[in-house]
Amino acid sequence: MAAARQAKPLKQKLSRFVDHFRNDWQIYLMLLPTIIWMIVFLYKPMYGLQIAFKDYSIFRGVAASPWVGFEHFQTLFSNDQFLRAIKNTIIISALNLLFGFPAPIILALMFNEILHATYKRTAQTIVYLPHFISTVIIAGIVTTAFSPTAGVVNTMIGWFGLDSIYFLTKPEWFRPIFVSTGIWQEAGFGSIVFLAAIAGVNPSLYESAVVDGASRWQMMWRITIPSIMPTIIIMLIIRIGNIMEVSFELIILLYQPATWSTADVVNTFVYRQGLESGQYDVAAAAGLFNAVVAFVLVMTANTLSRRYSRTSLW
Amino acid sequence: MSNVILQHIVKRYDEIEVVHGIDLTIAPKEFVVLVGPSGCGKSTTLRMIAGLEEISDGELQIDDRVVNRVAPKDRDVAMVFQNYALYPHLNVAENIAFGLRIRKESKEHIAKSVSEVGEILGLTPYLQRRPADLSGGQRQRVAMGRAIVRRPKVFLFDEPLSNLDAKLRTQMRAEIKRLHKRLGATSVYVTHDQVEAMTLADRIVVMNDGRIEQVGSPMDLFMNPANTFVAGFIGSPPMNQLNGVVEVTSDGLQANVSGITFELLESTQVEPGQAVVVGIRPEHLSLHASEHSSTIPISLDLVETLGSEALLHATVGEVPIIIKVETHGNIDHLHNVKEVFAPMNLVKLFDMQSGLAIDRKTVA
Ligand SMILES: Nc1ncnc2c1ncn2[C@@H]1O[C@H](COP(=O)(O)OP(=O)(O)OP(=O)(O)O)[C@@H](O)[C@H]1O
Ligand SMILES: [Mg+2]
Repeated sequence: MAAARQAKPLKQKLSRFVDHFRNDWQIYLMLLPTIIWMIVFLYKPMYGLQIAFKDYSIFRGVAASPWVGFEHFQTLFSNDQFLRAIKNTIIISALNLLFGFPAPIILALMFNEILHATYKRTAQTIVYLPHFISTVIIAGIVTTAFSPTAGVVNTMIGWFGLDSIYFLTKPEWFRPIFVSTGIWQEAGFGSIVFLAAIAGVNPSLYESAVVDGASRWQMMWRITIPSIMPTIIIMLIIRIGNIMEVSFELIILLYQPATWSTADVVNTFVYRQGLESGQYDVAAAAGLFNAVVAFVLVMTANTLSRRYSRTSLW
Repeated sequence: MSNVILQHIVKRYDEIEVVHGIDLTIAPKEFVVLVGPSGCGKSTTLRMIAGLEEISDGELQIDDRVVNRVAPKDRDVAMVFQNYALYPHLNVAENIAFGLRIRKESKEHIAKSVSEVGEILGLTPYLQRRPADLSGGQRQRVAMGRAIVRRPKVFLFDEPLSNLDAKLRTQMRAEIKRLHKRLGATSVYVTHDQVEAMTLADRIVVMNDGRIEQVGSPMDLFMNPANTFVAGFIGSPPMNQLNGVVEVTSDGLQANVSGITFELLESTQVEPGQAVVVGIRPEHLSLHASEHSSTIPISLDLVETLGSEALLHATVGEVPIIIKVETHGNIDHLHNVKEVFAPMNLVKLFDMQSGLAIDRKTVA
């Protein structure tokens, strides 16, 4: 009796879905390439994730390798290098968040204050440019700029009669250089989304404030920033979700064994373990750990934001 | 209270001139309404008074001070916008207080003013709500509150009621009128709704294509439109306009509209053969003949019932004409109407070429 009652709504739901699908199949068709892409590149590789819990050998294959439970995780957490990588990841991400997140917002607010159209367009184009340069070339530029002999930075230091510093071999300089390179490369491009949000603010809010006697500074604080706050929060949630994903290529290209103590992050550790030492199972465990932490972070950020600011990603 | 004087105000955007030299003197405490078709420059004129648009030419005075180059905040005006321009992230009380906060008024003064304004506008129960949680009419009231809380010299309104439904608009219209009576501030109100203009205004300014067509009291504009544009714009439905020619017959001076004759006074400033427009308001046409009335034969197309009144849509020859009559609860007899009568004292005469009204008294 109860089962029959339950079965009916399910059937109804199903038939409603079929109707819906028949009417709007074009929309689902457009969705198809994305679904296929996700299956092939995101879900199918997840099958291989099980090697994090197995004593994996290429010769036995994924399925035939024996289960070892959390052994690899135990290995990892007793490895000083891995613990150091976690620490470095957190520090670099925190610096990135602290300095790298506000940068595009400040840039967008500054662009918004430029009234001269041509000047504004030119300035914007210039700051967008680094985003389109390949990371390898960026790393080349950074290496050259900070080189001890010909580098711009050391040349300028020389003007003040100071000794040149070989920045890229100094652990204490790695993080500042890495974080500011990231800002230089992405702040301009990142400002686009905030500029779009600013453009969406109702212009009569500003006109009304002008008549009320507000200065441009007051309008920025009292109108622009509160109006783009939902965008800022969404971007912050996304950013927190990516906290464990520090730009891995740039680190690989910039770090050297001399700077590993501050530069080695989980991703580069995984890379060295997996590809250089051939320990795929340990590398998979490290990668999985990374993903779980990121997942927890983004869930937490989203929940907090939904509760306190009524804005959320989902 | 302050006057506002516009002297030959011109607005140009690059090469294009959109306001061509407006002269208007607004007395202290006066409620002036700018009306006109879309794009005629009403908003532009209002925004020049507010200081949101630069004045290209001419002189603007507020309270006997030239303010062309004075910043909006120092003109002591307040403006109510069509879309209310409420800050979505602030609650009603904070929205109302915004202008005072910006001016760094004391906390006590702000709290007192906000609660006073909340009282006046009936917003007291909603002071802690965000604009998103208010109805259209309540939002409109908050926008008004933001303007009145500063006690400015001049109020400027740009179509403040056009986002409201018809019933709410009528209600808010009355409320604005009451508010003006109470505060007595000089007000300039832009609308394209001529009912709003008629009901609110001390004086109406009819604009067209960047120029003023006529300035006058609502009744003056209704009874004595200065030209065919105003005749066609003010009144709903607008004045009927029939093209005719001036003739001299044995009966005296007449305007002849394809065989229908309208007697004119001997003193009327017209020449025989002059092309004229005969104007008669729909509500002035009657189903019954009277002394000194012209008979207009019509062919009826349609009867529209409004309740106590009905509109007869008909043609005279080829020209459409509308007649507004009282129904007295019965419209059957209206379907057989073959002719209507135009009392001569209510007929207006315009020169066809210039469109200007000819001699206001055309009574035979
Ligand atoms: N920034 C601008 N650049 C060029 N032309 C403009 C600009 N703003 C307005 N105009 C022109 O000025 C004229 C008057 O515009 P305005 O907004 O004052 O009209 P309006 O009478 O308020 O009309 P509506 O009833 O539709 O609001 C219009 O023809 C418009 O195209
Ligand atoms: Mg307008």
